[in-house]
Amino acid sequence: MRGRSLLWPLAVTLAALVAWEAVVAALRVKALLLPRPSLVAGVLWSRAPLILEHMWPTFYQIVLGFLLSLVGGVVVAVLLTYSEIVRKGFYPLIVVSQIVPKVAVAPLFVVWFGLGDLSRLLLAFLIAFFPIVINTATGLTSVDDDFVRMARAYMGTRRQIFTKIRLPHALPLIFGGMKISITLAVIGVVVAEFVAAQRGIGYLIVMANGLLDTPLMMAAIAALSLMGLALYGVVAGLERLVVYWQVRTETPRGGFA
Amino acid sequence: MLDSVVVDGVGKTYAGSVEAIREARFRVAPGEFLSLLGPSGCGKSTLLMMIAGLLAPSRGSIRVDGVEVQGPRRDVGIVFQSPVLLPWRTVLDNVLLPVEMLRLRRTDYERRARDLLSMAKVDDFAAKLPHELSGGMKQRVAICRALVHDPALLLMDEPFNALDAMTRDQMGLELLRIWDVHKKTVVFVTHSIREAVFLSDRVLVMTPRPATIGFETDVKLPRPRTMDMQEADEFNRYVGLLRHSIEAGTRP
Repeated sequence: MRGRSLLWPLAVTLAALVAWEAVVAALRVKALLLPRPSLVAGVLWSRAPLILEHMWPTFYQIVLGFLLSLVGGVVVAVLLTYSEIVRKGFYPLIVVSQIVPKVAVAPLFVVWFGLGDLSRLLLAFLIAFFPIVINTATGLTSVDDDFVRMARAYMGTRRQIFTKIRLPHALPLIFGGMKISITLAVIGVVVAEFVAAQRGIGYLIVMANGLLDTPLMMAAIAALSLMGLALYGVVAGLERLVVYWQVRTETPRGGFA
Repeated sequence: MLDSVVVDGVGKTYAGSVEAIREARFRVAPGEFLSLLGPSGCGKSTLLMMIAGLLAPSRGSIRVDGVEVQGPRRDVGIVFQSPVLLPWRTVLDNVLLPVEMLRLRRTDYERRARDLLSMAKVDDFAAKLPHELSGGMKQRVAICRALVHDPALLLMDEPFNALDAMTRDQMGLELLRIWDVHKKTVVFVTHSIREAVFLSDRVLVMTPRPATIGFETDVKLPRPRTMDMQEADEFNRYVGLLRHSIEAGTRP
């Protein structure tokens, strides 16, 4: 079932790569403009040590930024659910903060938090935590009244209702948020690396661009995409384990609810 | 003998001035099977929720086993219209939920939970998740959950509403069988006249909003009740009597 669902996108990707290769070869496009996929793959292989070296800092900051936004997002969502002050006072601000293009504040973060990991981490957090907050808050509050009434009838305390009913009920939505969040964390870290960094895939892309080394640039982008895909896969795999009771459909869940 | 439930001049007016229940006054004897019968929206569920301590009455008082109801009690089991099973818990863990909520020892009740499941003929599904069960099976599990902590009083809010007619009759029979073994006091809310007659020792008819108890009759059909009784003249005499009383109540 799962293998078959992967077959089609893989076939389409392969066909696109072959077409790309053929068009570039037929029109004799310069590698500077658009390198052939085979050339990019070759660079990915031959310069693997360089790419891996830059991949590591990007990787751990994505993971750290994601985990930070997961914890932060869930905590904020719990506060939103249980505290009227937070809900009335802060929720509108959180929403408004999402209207500010976060990519645009990246240079500001460098001014405030320096050239180090902190500004990159904070940008990743800022971008990635919103879907977690929204999805978790939706999950915690969308519990059917009957469930809460049933729990209260058996003298369930607020805490029991949270741990035994609201939180598990919210898990499918939390994972929906996590899947969006992990891809946003990739964007956050790489954008921050564009602005100011001495290492990382974002830095490597900018550097290769400066050297007019388009094949390296594309190899770095490919490596980044593969990493993003792998991270998404880990979250999706975890979802299958944790949210075992969900009857699965082919359409994605969660989303920007 | 002390009444199991005493509803004493209870009224409910919702915020603003929507009067759901004008006045309800009745008693339920220990071990009695009492039905509250009335048209949809007449406030019979509201009354049940007040007995359960999930809603506070606006007027009057309710006593369960002689103690005024101030909130949910340990010794009450409740079954809702929908099964309300937690989808991430197995059938057995769903049945044991009240045990956890009441902070009782799980090991003491696991045996009882399994016995209840086998009495409700769903013991083969103890380790399954709710979505693998049919609607009737889910509601049986919900009944097991309501009985797991051995409450003296069982409150049922149109529990068989969502089921098809054949399953519904079957469930009624099984409920009576379980009730016969466990000797609970049951307050059963329904809008089905036949169901009320078939199950109950006594039926109270509620008038439409603002509700009062309009009519009351003992059902003196022999027990154990059987499906065949539903065709008996005496059964249908009760049905007719109750239908007339409901029609009289709905007339302006």
